[in-house]
Amino acid sequence: MSEKKKYRSKSGRERVTRILIYIFLTALCLIWLIPFIYLVFQAFRGESRSMVTYIFPKEWSFDNFIFLSTKTPFWSWYLNTFIIALFNAVLQSAIVLCVAYALSRMRFKGRKFIMNLMLVLGMFPGFLSMIATYFILKLFGLTSENSVPGLIIVYAASSGMGYYIAKGFFDTIPRSLDEAARIDGASRARVFFCIIMPMAKPIIIYTIMMAFMAPWGDFMYASLITFGHEEAYNVAVGLYKWLDKEHISNYFTIFCAGGLLVSIPITALFMALQKYYVEGVTGGAVKG
Amino acid sequence: MAEVKLKNVMKQYDNGFVAVHDFNIDIKDKEFIVLVGPSGCGKSTTLRMIAGLEDISGGEIIIGDNVVNDMEPKDRDIAMVFQNYALYPHMTVYEIIAFCLRLRKVPNDEIHRKVVEAAEILGISGLLGRKPKQLSGGQRQRVALGRAIVRNPQVFLLDEPLSNLDAKLRAQMRTELAKLHKKLGTTFIYVTHDQIEAMTMGDRIVVMKDGYVQQIDTPINLYDNPVNKFVAGFIGTPQMNFFDADLVNDSGKYSVIVYNAKVQLPDRINEALSKRESVPEKVTLGVRPENFIICEDDAPDTFPAEIRMTEPMGSEIHIHAECADGICPILRIQTSEMSEKEQFELIGKKKLSLKVRESTVNIFDTVDGRNLAVVNAVPVPDKQEADIGTGGSDKKKKKDKKNRK
Repeated sequence: MSEKKKYRSKSGRERVTRILIYIFLTALCLIWLIPFIYLVFQAFRGESRSMVTYIFPKEWSFDNFIFLSTKTPFWSWYLNTFIIALFNAVLQSAIVLCVAYALSRMRFKGRKFIMNLMLVLGMFPGFLSMIATYFILKLFGLTSENSVPGLIIVYAASSGMGYYIAKGFFDTIPRSLDEAARIDGASRARVFFCIIMPMAKPIIIYTIMMAFMAPWGDFMYASLITFGHEEAYNVAVGLYKWLDKEHISNYFTIFCAGGLLVSIPITALFMALQKYYVEGVTGGAVKG
Repeated sequence: MAEVKLKNVMKQYDNGFVAVHDFNIDIKDKEFIVLVGPSGCGKSTTLRMIAGLEDISGGEIIIGDNVVNDMEPKDRDIAMVFQNYALYPHMTVYEIIAFCLRLRKVPNDEIHRKVVEAAEILGISGLLGRKPKQLSGGQRQRVALGRAIVRNPQVFLLDEPLSNLDAKLRAQMRTELAKLHKKLGTTFIYVTHDQIEAMTMGDRIVVMKDGYVQQIDTPINLYDNPVNKFVAGFIGTPQMNFFDADLVNDSGKYSVIVYNAKVQLPDRINEALSKRESVPEKVTLGVRPENFIICEDDAPDTFPAEIRMTEPMGSEIHIHAECADGICPILRIQTSEMSEKEQFELIGKKKLSLKVRESTVNIFDTVDGRNLAVVNAVPVPDKQEADIGTGGSDKKKKKDKKNRK
């Protein structure tokens, strides 16, 4: 009897702890969500376009979105960003996966050196090379109004350095699979595409998502390389322009509406691939 | 179906570490060769060199009539079975077996015929639609074999294929592999660290240590006439017992004295010793566990041993004993002709008087471990070389590199 009591009190204590934990997590979650909720409410506010001190709109409307679509170049920025992100997703994934596979499987002179070099280079913040990059691109005429191809090159060019996670994943795939396929008669390329790629789905998806998201939200390079040419802006640069002193009183709710639209494809992509994403991030570490 | 020849094959890594020294062998057509040795002895490296997965630093490998040194693995007409099976996890069994045929652009109906045929030989016809994840260890092993036999290769290479199976399945697969070898009539080269596998399956066995070939011989010869102390100790469980002994010449007949007991040496050793220019005074006497005779306490030419532990195994009893100088021999006593009472008596004993079955003994050089009765016996690689030889881990290689600098 006494044992039963003891057991009950233990489970009761456990329940209290659990409730406390959930309260804490809910609070954290709300704090996290407030900016986004605020953004959504502002996007649908109809009474004025300036910043206000309250959250809930007095008048709900789609005016901000209509304004965004008809009176601003927002959709052309959107298209620019989309093209850049899409191209980068393809190019960067291909480069990263190839580099990672080569570094994981092949043994060649300078392999260790290259890996260390890329690690060290990756530690320098990207903006250190910004000016040089700008002048090089200008030399080829890929700045200002031609920024879209220029930006694609900038993003894709350095992508091989992000090989680490993919290499970690490939390292967990037994080498004997490669060897068996080579004895079966497959070339290196065939081993990569027919044997390794089908097994590496999580990491492929992870790489594609990363490669899509990075240029989607990039501000620094885009603002430098477009250099004030409005038609070549991406969404981050375009929207940010509305937050400066002269625009903010007339464009704040428009900014919020734009922000909401920007978040849609990323959220959708994330939701759709969430399962693989988690597998990809942890898969490299624990998959036997 | 081909002969395989290795001529002075050696493997040296970039850091100077030599994994295989001067490997020479002529493997006959349809022969079942087993490479055996402790881990790090270079047996897998040798196999991988034959497969073409590892470059050769020196020498020649000949398969059939072709020198294959610089040939790609796929052009060598070999098939390999890996320790972890290496089955492509995203393919079905059918696709895995058919993969190599697809790559060789074999027509579809022929692929189908061959896959079904291979599956029938191995008894996996019902599993063709499954993926490797849905198979047991034994079934996976069969699929790996199926992938190999479907190509009808000249040489079969097997790299410890049974070591991931449980004991019972391993014994079963062992006989099945032997049967398969008979059925296919292909040259088999088989790597294992398990000397029981080697003894039961091989036509000839290659014993390796630290990258050196120690002996290439039939299982029986390996067991009865090991070339040195290492081979003697490696082949056979429980392993051969070694005693320090004095070699004496009794009017032309040699015998050894061990713990004051005289052991007359058999004719084959006598002959070999009489041909030698010089004969050492001290030797190491090697006695297999089954070659002890338990005698009455006061019998002549026996030596005493105390029983430390007994292990009844059913058909035999292993007795761990201890002799006067602290050497602990293991005895293997067959129980099939003993009554239960006799067995109990034996287990209950504290002391034994032992005699050695004279016709079966071997004597070894105390310094380099060579069998004194075998002409041109290979010495056991000395400790220093052995230290380098057991490498293979990165740590060791790094150390070697440092030392060279």
